[in-house]
Amino acid sequence: MGFVIFIVLLAGICVLLYNSVIGKKNQVDNAFASIDAMLKKRYDLIPSLVASVKQYMLHESSILTEITETRSRAMSGNLSADDRVDLDNKITKMLGGIMVAVENYPDLKANQNFLQLQRALNEVEEQISAARRAYNASVTDFNNACEMLPTNIIAGMLNLKRRKVFEITEIERKNIDVKGLFNN
Amino acid sequence: MKTVSELTQAYKEKLYPHLQILEDERKKITQNLYVIFVPIMIGAVWITIAVKHPIGIFLGLIVGGAVTYFLTREYRINFKVKIVAKIIEFIDPDFIYIPNNRISEDKFVQSKLFGRFNRYRGDDYVKGKVGDTEIEFSELHVAYHTSNGKNSHTKPVFDGLFVIAEFNKNFKGKTIVLPDKAEKMFGGLGNFFQKANWMRGDLVKLEDTEFEKLFVVYSDDQIEARYILSTSFMQRIKDFRKKANKKIYISFVDTKIFVGIRYRKNLFEPNVFKTILDIKPIIDYYRDLRLAVDIIEDLKLNVRIWSKE
Repeated sequence: MGFVIFIVLLAGICVLLYNSVIGKKNQVDNAFASIDAMLKKRYDLIPSLVASVKQYMLHESSILTEITETRSRAMSGNLSADDRVDLDNKITKMLGGIMVAVENYPDLKANQNFLQLQRALNEVEEQISAARRAYNASVTDFNNACEMLPTNIIAGMLNLKRRKVFEITEIERKNIDVKGLFNN
Repeated sequence: MKTVSELTQAYKEKLYPHLQILEDERKKITQNLYVIFVPIMIGAVWITIAVKHPIGIFLGLIVGGAVTYFLTREYRINFKVKIVAKIIEFIDPDFIYIPNNRISEDKFVQSKLFGRFNRYRGDDYVKGKVGDTEIEFSELHVAYHTSNGKNSHTKPVFDGLFVIAEFNKNFKGKTIVLPDKAEKMFGGLGNFFQKANWMRGDLVKLEDTEFEKLFVVYSDDQIEARYILSTSFMQRIKDFRKKANKKIYISFVDTKIFVGIRYRKNLFEPNVFKTILDIKPIIDYYRDLRLAVDIIEDLKLNVRIWSKE
């Protein structure tokens, strides 16, 4: 009798541990998907951004063509995860470049449409960063499960490996000085 | 922002004449109080001796307290209307100050910061705008009173300044930032957190270890919580907490930020037994009011670079 109870208890504990590991793994996948969702939001903003700055930024037309191309490549699918990350980093850089270049075009900075887009982009950037931080938190949780007793036994049996975290750099952004713009 | 030395200047020029009138009033009241206290004390001692029970002392304290309350009421109202109102005007002339009003009970509940309560008091309501950001705050005393015939017990829920401001980012969910569970050591509240977790949402583990030591965060949306609590925003909350040197409760609900700053004392009340001509309490009132208003600057709620305008 005692032996049966022991077996049942042991089986119960195994089920709980198994579920917790799988739950953590799914959490990581889920968090990764949310980064994707945020990146998609950014892809959606790029064409409108390009359209609204094109007529002003004649000297920077090459960067505008480039960002459009990079965007379609990133969206094309069938890319390895690393390539995707590279492309997205490139987009981040180019967007930053465009925003710096905008400083030379007072007309553009006063354009309501553009200001709205700039706000939307700021928002999306911060959401991407938040999604990455959420991903990192769930990866840390998952990695702990992969390495700590007793969940590491289950993870080993399922052949689950540690995942990498994103490196995150946050850029402090300045407030848009709308009043200053109109005084120019 | 105005400095304490500017306040000292304003104190001399604008407050002092009012303070002198109030000081005369205060002196009269304390004289009356001493005259009344003597028979009350004699009565208390007499009852105690007559019935051989300390009940006389209790009665004396109750009657004495009630008399003090009623005799000083007008003085306290005058103090608020004339002095606290002037300090608030000094901070921002456009602020509206209503001494006997408070943050509504609905809004307190809306914040999701605290559990059940059945006693809700408060005063010193201030409402205004700092830059583009609307703000309102008041002192609150919220408690949960239970009684089972003989025994009654009042558990404090929240005492202090309660501030509500418009938040500068759009969000849909609920995110709650509470002092960390070190509270547990002090009883009641710690348990309350754990019980209430189911209604607060999931625990959010943040990468700022210093922040994590000070606060515990719950949210129904892991990403949104991090969108609100960006790395720099966490730093600002830490700095604000350090400056306030008080327990801070923050929630982000329905486009607003709710901040509870816990005080152990009654705020903006004059001590009738101390001279009012001393500037130190005035500076304290100013600092406490300033702390609430500063939330907007300290947390940079006027920065509008996101789609919310």
